[in-house]
Amino acid sequence: MDSLRAENLSKTFQIGLLRRRKVEALRSFSLSVQRGEIFGLLGPNGAGKTTLVKIFLSIVRPSSGYGYIGDVPISNTVARISAGYLPENHRYPTFLSAKDTLVLFGRLSGLSDAEISARIDPLLQRVGLADWKHVKIRRFSKGMLQRLGIAQALIHNPSVLFLDEPTDGVDPIGRKEIRDLLLELRAEGKTIFLNSHMLSEVEHICDRVAILNKGELIKAGKIDELTQSNAEYEFLLNRSILEEDIAKIRLIVSNVSAINNSMTARLSEPYKLTRVIDLLRSAGYEFHSINQKKASLEDSFIQLLTIPKDMT
Amino acid sequence: MIGMLRFTLLESLRQGTLLFYLAVSTIILLLLLLGIRLDDSNPNQLTLFGMPFFQKMASVNVVEMLLVMLQKQATFWLILFGIIASAGLIPSLLEKGTAELFLSKPQSRTTIYLSRSLGAVTGVAVNIAYFIVGVWLVVGLKLGVWQSGLLLAIIAISFAFACFYSVIGLVALISRNGLIAVMLAFLYTLVSSGLETRAHGLYRLWDNAIYHRTLDVLYYLLPQFDSMLSHTSLLIGRSPFGTGPAEFSILPFVYSGLSATLLYAAGCYYFQRQDY
Repeated sequence: MDSLRAENLSKTFQIGLLRRRKVEALRSFSLSVQRGEIFGLLGPNGAGKTTLVKIFLSIVRPSSGYGYIGDVPISNTVARISAGYLPENHRYPTFLSAKDTLVLFGRLSGLSDAEISARIDPLLQRVGLADWKHVKIRRFSKGMLQRLGIAQALIHNPSVLFLDEPTDGVDPIGRKEIRDLLLELRAEGKTIFLNSHMLSEVEHICDRVAILNKGELIKAGKIDELTQSNAEYEFLLNRSILEEDIAKIRLIVSNVSAINNSMTARLSEPYKLTRVIDLLRSAGYEFHSINQKKASLEDSFIQLLTIPKDMT
Repeated sequence: MIGMLRFTLLESLRQGTLLFYLAVSTIILLLLLLGIRLDDSNPNQLTLFGMPFFQKMASVNVVEMLLVMLQKQATFWLILFGIIASAGLIPSLLEKGTAELFLSKPQSRTTIYLSRSLGAVTGVAVNIAYFIVGVWLVVGLKLGVWQSGLLLAIIAISFAFACFYSVIGLVALISRNGLIAVMLAFLYTLVSSGLETRAHGLYRLWDNAIYHRTLDVLYYLLPQFDSMLSHTSLLIGRSPFGTGPAEFSILPFVYSGLSATLLYAAGCYYFQRQDY
C-alpha cells in the first residue's frame, strides 16, 4: 500500500514585487512511497525538495497535480493527522521547555492532555533528552534542538515522517543515534521521507531514493539500481597494458585509464564488458581478476546531475 | 484551537508589556485600596491618603467621575501596551522555521488564524478585567458604590479590541512583519479617531462630495474603534467635560462587529491562499 503518492505535482512561484517573474520549483512530479519504507530525496540546493515536502503538508499549495498521504488528499486537514514533520532550520518559542513544546505540539496534533502526558517521557527518553525535560529550550544546542524536533514530529505517533536534514548540526555519535532511531521507526512500520544532503547517510539507511534537479525528477529507484548503472570495472592483468591496446579499448569505451597491469574502464552498457574482455584476450592478456567497482551514491548523484538530461 | 489559544495567551503574557501593565494595575489598585476615601467633611471630595484627590465637577457624581477617569486611562494604556504585545504575535508565527511547524499540524489555517487572534484579544481582556474588577471591588468596598456599568465595560472594551485586532491581524498577515503591524496599528487608531470626527476635521480638508463619501465608506467599512471606546465610558458615567456622545448607543458595536467579521473573513481567505 502506498503511504505517499504524488501525481503530476507542479509548483510555480511568482516572485518579485514590481517585475513579477515565474519560478518553476516543481514540474509534474510523480512518485509513490510504500508503507514502512525509508525514502530519500536528494538534489542540489534549490532543486525543489523542500517545496515537495511542504506541498505534501499543505504549507505550500500546488499549482497543479494531486498528492495523497495514505488515501487522503493532501488538501484535506485530516491527511496531516498521519504526518509528522521536522523542518529544516526549525524555530521553537524559546520560552518553552522541552515538555511544554511537546505539550503544545501534541495539542495541535489533536491529542488529549492524558495522551500527551503518557507519551512525553518515553519520547524524550527515546531521543536522549529525558534529563532536559524541564529546561527552557533557549539553552539547547543545535543537536538537542534537532532531537526535540524529531520528538515533536513523533508526538502524535504518525505513520509518515517527513524529515528535512534531521542530522544537521548533530555530532557523529548523535547522528548514529538518529540513524538507529530511524531504522527502529521503519521496523515499527513507519514510512520515513528523508531530505538530506548527507549522501553517505542516505546510502546507509534509505531503501529507495529519488534525485531531483531544477524541480524535475531525474531518477528514482533502489540505492543499488542507482549506483550500479554508473559502475566501473577494474581489470588486473598478467602484464602491463600497451598504449596501442588502450587505444583500441577506447574505441569501445571512452573512459579508460591504466597503470602498469591495472586498467579501469567505466562501462555504460553491460555488453561492452564482453567486448573489452574479448579484445584483451585476443591481444594475449590473461586476467588475474575483474572487479566491478561500485560507485558510491555520491558518484552517481554527481554524475546524474552533470550529464545532459537526454543521456540519463 | 484550545492548544493555540493557550499558547498565544501564554506568549502574549510572557512579553514584558502586558506584565508591566499588570504590575502597574496592581500598584494602582493597592494605592486605591489603602488610601482612597470620601472626605468626612465634604462628600463631594475624594481623598487619597488624606490628600484631596477628586472633587465633584458640574453635575457629575465624584465617584462616577473617578470611575470614568480610571476606565479611560486604563483603556488608553492597555490599548497602547496591547498593540505592542499583540501586533507581533501573527508575524512571529509566520517566521521561517516556525510557520512550517504550526502549519504542518492537522489544524485548518482558519482555526490557526482565529485562535491566534482570540488568544491575543484574551491577553488584553484578562488585563482589563483584572484592573476593572479590582477597581469595582475597591470602590464598592471603600466607597459603597457598586457600579455594574464597570463590569459591562470589560465586555465592551474586549469586544472593541477584538474588532481592532481584525485590522492588526490582517496587516500582520500581509506584511509578516511585527514592526510594520505595530506602526500601522497606531496609525489606524489615528485614522479611526479622524474618521469619527470627520465632519469637524477631514471633511474640511477638501470640499468634495466623492471625498466625503469615501470617508463615510471607510468609516463604516472599518471598525469604529474610537466610537466604541467613547460609548463604553457612557456605561459607567458621563464625562464632566461634556465631550463625546451624549447617550450610549449599541450601533458602533454592531457596525464594528460586522466590519470586523468581514476583516477576519478576509484574513482567513488570505491566509488560506498563501505559501510559507
